[in-house]
Amino acid sequence: MTMFSPANLKRLFLILVITAVVAVMTGTPGSSTASPTTGVHGSFLERVSWFGLFVAPRWLLFTTLGVIVWLVVSLYRPRARSIRRGIDTALALPKALATKRSTRVALMLVALVVVIFLPKFVHESFWMYLIVEQIGVWILLALGLNVVVGFAGLLDLGFAAFYAIGAYTTAWLTGALPAPALFHHPIPTLWVIPIGILAAMIFGVLLGTPTLRLRGDYLAIVTLGFALIIDDFVETQSGVTGGGVGSAPVPHPALNLGFWHFHWGITPTPYYYLCLVFIIVFIIVFTSLERSRIGRAWVAIREDEVAAESVGINPLKYKVMAFAVGAASGGFGGVMSAGLVGIVNPGLFTFQISVNVLVLVIFGGMGSIWGVALGAIVIQTATSYLDNYQPWGYQINDLYMYIGALLIIMMIFRPAGLLPSRRRAREFAAAKGDEQVHTDEVLTGDQP
Amino acid sequence: MSDQVTTDLIIRAEKLTLRFGGVVSLRDVSIDMRRGEILAVIGPNGAGKTSLFNSLSGVYQPQEGSITFMARDAAPLSVIGKKAHQIAQAGVSRTFQASRLFSALNVFENIKIGAEDHRGIGLVGALVKGPGTRRGEHQSDEVVIKLLEFVGLTREANLIASQLSYGARRRLEIARALATDPEVILLDEPAAGTNPSEKLELAELIRRVRDERGVSVLLIEHDMKLVMSLAERLYVLNFGSVIAEGSPADVRANPVVIDAYLGSSHEETKA
Ligand SMILES: Nc1ncnc2c1ncn2[C@@H]1O[C@H](COP(=O)(O)OP(=O)(O)OP(=O)(O)O)[C@@H](O)[C@H]1O
Ligand SMILES: [Mg+2]
Repeated sequence: MTMFSPANLKRLFLILVITAVVAVMTGTPGSSTASPTTGVHGSFLERVSWFGLFVAPRWLLFTTLGVIVWLVVSLYRPRARSIRRGIDTALALPKALATKRSTRVALMLVALVVVIFLPKFVHESFWMYLIVEQIGVWILLALGLNVVVGFAGLLDLGFAAFYAIGAYTTAWLTGALPAPALFHHPIPTLWVIPIGILAAMIFGVLLGTPTLRLRGDYLAIVTLGFALIIDDFVETQSGVTGGGVGSAPVPHPALNLGFWHFHWGITPTPYYYLCLVFIIVFIIVFTSLERSRIGRAWVAIREDEVAAESVGINPLKYKVMAFAVGAASGGFGGVMSAGLVGIVNPGLFTFQISVNVLVLVIFGGMGSIWGVALGAIVIQTATSYLDNYQPWGYQINDLYMYIGALLIIMMIFRPAGLLPSRRRAREFAAAKGDEQVHTDEVLTGDQP
Repeated sequence: MSDQVTTDLIIRAEKLTLRFGGVVSLRDVSIDMRRGEILAVIGPNGAGKTSLFNSLSGVYQPQEGSITFMARDAAPLSVIGKKAHQIAQAGVSRTFQASRLFSALNVFENIKIGAEDHRGIGLVGALVKGPGTRRGEHQSDEVVIKLLEFVGLTREANLIASQLSYGARRRLEIARALATDPEVILLDEPAAGTNPSEKLELAELIRRVRDERGVSVLLIEHDMKLVMSLAERLYVLNFGSVIAEGSPADVRANPVVIDAYLGSSHEETKA
């Protein structure tokens, strides 16, 4: 019996220890609405217990859940190989089709038609608004962070800073900030798009040049630090930024080409198309960058910085470039959201937003443009739906519990993401094959 | 040959001292390399050979001494204080003791990254793909195709680097280093981990790197038979210091070398 083998019993023991720790940490049911597992109380699990008739103490629920997980894993493991083989054979045909160029083009065309006509099917402007604000803008953010994390391999925990720069630049240039305007007349909002993008890119260079000399974990900490500094600055310098309250109303954009005049207003549909156009532009730009000399240099740095330098690649230059390029779409996300929402405030770029964007990138598939876009659509649609309908006793506080579980499951079954980039999938396979060698060992030449 | 020394040097390292805390990896090491020669550095484990390469290629910065690289059509370059990529761009290329390929890329792409010009920004070129960009791409592709043939990896061009045999990986590393169009190539134990027949192929390849491409070769190698047959001149390092220099015959006969190096580990190196 493999089920009661010492190794498997040890696993059960570990799971029980973890549930015990979590149970102790989270206290009794409903003891605090802010605790991370309030969902246990008054939620799906309570319904399972017949509307509170058999409300079990939390530790019991947790233990039951733990044992169920253990049972599933124990039953799955002996059959894992045949299950996986079954999935592989089932997916063989779709996979072969998907790698064909013609199917890809066809799929893209279908997707394009769907997104173009989407507003015809979404009648409530509330949902249209959510599609732009919760999905469109987040696709932009995820695409930008993907350049930094996915292409260049730099862990940036403060990406929301670029979002903020885009948004605050918009507010400033349209005269919605207390800070004195640079120009006498506020600039028309649509002109803010190129300026906002440029401001974010310049900020990317300024932020990147000193920090990108650091590697790995150090870089992550420094980017996090920078994001917190900006957060603090915006919160406290109310004379410049409007502080915690935020800006005055930001005017809606208007386009004046002389012969053609267009005004974005309250209705979200025009914003939808504006956002769509820019998403397509950024997808095209990032795809051609990925396939260029620059894209290859990014891969080289990501894979082995010392080797990249040995063929004449200046890592700092290309990393700063990744920061600036990624910042462009993040910055545009900020411009979009300022125009659409009509106000800018510090809630726009908390640490949580940076983490959310990172989740989208990891979930969709680091380095895969289509994967990241799809990941953003899937997760943002799901969270918008959950937040607005709150089905099965779902509570907003629980979101991160579910996202955390989702990421753990992803890392086990599909570590390279939903639609992995081919190169990244190979990297994962290679890393599994031969043990990673530490930089210092390689430099001194010690054989792995 | 010694009358040419001053006229046709390509690298001159003088009195290099490199320390890591209390460990002295290089102590007063001076090396002259002539243009067009195959020069070898030998020495027991931990003698400082790789440290010397890392200093020459800008990976380590020695605390004392100077390194000058004399490129053919450029002013002499003072290497110390320069970054590794600047030295590579100037014409000093290298391989690593434990191979460091871009393991998720295929053979072609690995070499192409070496062949591309990484100066400038190129953001506009990458997006607009004008004739200049396309010409650049075309040129690097040509370079790659020639090098694939040169190292004998044409048939493996589409394989992922991590799928290659050990010998093929080492050849790929040499091809990537050559793709930068260097004047000097530093090879850190290019035959390490390969089998005897692959070793012979590598020796042949290294000779051709010099003869056919006119690249000066600086080589670290533990296999005595290989070094003695390949190198025209050797430096012997021990505990971070140069203890001998000369032709293979001289070095082999030098009692200091026999004492410090060949004597103690002759049995292993013969195998
Ligand atoms: N980055 C480093 N940090 C600390 N010590 C180092 C470092 N690099 C080299 N050393 C030390 O310098 C000395 C020389 O090392 P080096 O790698 O140059 O020897 P080697 O001659 O290449 O040896 P091998 O034949 O084993 O490759 C060793 O004592 C090593 O521990
Ligand atoms: Mg060494």
